[in-house]
Amino acid sequence: MPSSQPMIEARGVQKWYPNGFHALRGVDLSVSKGEVVVIMGPSGSGKSTFIRTFNALEEFQEGSISVDGIALSNDLRNIDAIRCDTGMVFQQFNLFPHLTVLENLSLAPVVVRKRRRSEVEAQAMALLERVGIAEQARKYPGQLSGGQQQRVAIARSLCMEPRILLFDEPTSALDPEMVGEVLEVMRNLAADGMTMVVVTHEMGFAREVAHRVVLMSEGQIVEEAPPETFFTNPQHERSRQFLAQIL
Amino acid sequence: MTSLPPRPGSTTTQPLRPASPAPRTVQRSWAGVLRQELFASRGDGLVSVLLILLILASAVGLLRWAFGQAQWAVIQVNTTLFAVGRFPIEQQWRLWLLVVLVAALSGTSWGLLRAFPRADRSGELWPFNDRLAVALLGFLAAWLPAALALGFPLQLRWWAITGLLVAMRWIAGHWGRSWPPRLLKLVSLGWPLLYLFGMVLIAGGLGMSRVSPSNWGGLLLTLLMASFAILLSFPIGVVVALGRRSSLPLLRWSSVLYIEFIRGAPLITLLFLGQNILGYMLPGGWAPDRVWRAAWVLTFFCGAYLAEAVRAGLSAVPPGQLEAARSLGLSMPQALQRVVLPQALRIALPAAVGQFISLLQDTTLLSLIGLLDLLGTARTVMANPEFLGKNAEVYLTLAVLFWCCCAALGLGSRALERRLDPTHSPA
Repeated sequence: MPSSQPMIEARGVQKWYPNGFHALRGVDLSVSKGEVVVIMGPSGSGKSTFIRTFNALEEFQEGSISVDGIALSNDLRNIDAIRCDTGMVFQQFNLFPHLTVLENLSLAPVVVRKRRRSEVEAQAMALLERVGIAEQARKYPGQLSGGQQQRVAIARSLCMEPRILLFDEPTSALDPEMVGEVLEVMRNLAADGMTMVVVTHEMGFAREVAHRVVLMSEGQIVEEAPPETFFTNPQHERSRQFLAQIL
Repeated sequence: MTSLPPRPGSTTTQPLRPASPAPRTVQRSWAGVLRQELFASRGDGLVSVLLILLILASAVGLLRWAFGQAQWAVIQVNTTLFAVGRFPIEQQWRLWLLVVLVAALSGTSWGLLRAFPRADRSGELWPFNDRLAVALLGFLAAWLPAALALGFPLQLRWWAITGLLVAMRWIAGHWGRSWPPRLLKLVSLGWPLLYLFGMVLIAGGLGMSRVSPSNWGGLLLTLLMASFAILLSFPIGVVVALGRRSSLPLLRWSSVLYIEFIRGAPLITLLFLGQNILGYMLPGGWAPDRVWRAAWVLTFFCGAYLAEAVRAGLSAVPPGQLEAARSLGLSMPQALQRVVLPQALRIALPAAVGQFISLLQDTTLLSLIGLLDLLGTARTVMANPEFLGKNAEVYLTLAVLFWCCCAALGLGSRALERRLDPTHSPA
């Protein structure tokens, strides 16, 4: 169960792209420790942009964000500290194709945390075991299926022992028969009490795992509710339209 | 793909199948193959016959000339001149030492490359290509010194050097896996160290007398200039390519200026220009004489073209790679070094090697600014009244020499490409 200790605090976040597009129009969100928040919304609603501001992959112009008690500012040390504590899983996996699976996992702990390679590799093997692909450790990402690659990507984030995991449409680039294996891994993580913010269209996952569902539209949060309320009794017209479209 | 035997470590379970008929391989006789490939139709046959006649005619003509009319004495007498120019005879042991070291290190690296195959492959210790290469080396060692009419002591030296190379290949290939890590690190450090030591052997220092660059010549000068330019242009190319994509305007504009200035002028112009103004541009002592000035011009020339190849490689790496690296906490330099550059350089490799090959050939322009590289040496030899009119022999030798060097570069780069290709399957 989520505690009341806030892990992410976003207040009035505003973002304009260089071409003038107003992507985020004053977004507030707070995520507690151990909480799983699913963000839904039509494409272009700013949900990916929003979670990418949490680890400073996107800049924002107004408002404030603090992650695990550290305020996001232009201070590079703060950004690096937040990135070490915040894992991110991408739609396109973004595994490093020139490194083996094991090297993908151990790169950051060895280079950033300066840990011993042998110790990191033992931990990496345990993580690969946990996501069910330990036998692929010496292969290259290109030799794996999409579902396997995404599980490696999750294990790679976990290898830095993050306190928060951000998922940016983790199953959208997968063949349908591989979605299940990735969601299974995410479900287990949630059960272990990991703090997760997940941008996804997977209704089943949101219904079953999320503590809270957030609907974004045109750069704003339209509705924020527990899944049972959100899916059965949405309060806003925009939410009803969205649910009607994807159901 | 269907006929692949299951690889060790692969997890796909083969379903149990009833004994299926062995895959049918179509056995065709040589005559059958020839008929199908060359004489499938009347038109094909006509083209084939004409081409075969043409090739035969020119080959017969060339061979008749090479073994009949041609007088190879011009090469045999001047072997040393072609190899090292006017390098003082009493100091030539230094070059022999260099050749011995290069052979030993090449053999060791070659063997280690086979002893440590890629993590996802089970490499063969003696693949077909390696056996072929050793056979070729053996043939060259036996035939070439004799063909060049070298004295017996020299022949013996070349046999020993070839033997050393193959022996190190053998030793490193078979026992390299059990060598201590410190020794392995020493081997990988060996190449840069050997290059620096080779420079000392050639130029003098560490108690050895100085040999003026104006006495370097022939293949020695050509290889020295080419390797110097290749090695130093590489970091220049990477830095300038990164600079051209930098967000700092000054860095970006100076990179663009450098690239466009170099690429906008013919090399020969730059070489002449360099002889005149490089002394003013580089810190004192960096370009003391004509040879070093030319070396720096070649380096900066190659660097500009290389920067464009590397830039193409950088833009081919998806932006998600940098984002993933940064999201894991890697700093910008760490992300570039560990994630972006390895991929970009692999993509840039074929273009870069093409650049290196044309650089090697461009070193012949050095003869036009009065340096005695291979072509410059050849021209002095042909100007000698004793060898007047022996142009064909000399130029053919030069062409074969260049061809061998370029083929070696090309083969090496293709092997490297295959080793670095993350999607290349072992089959």
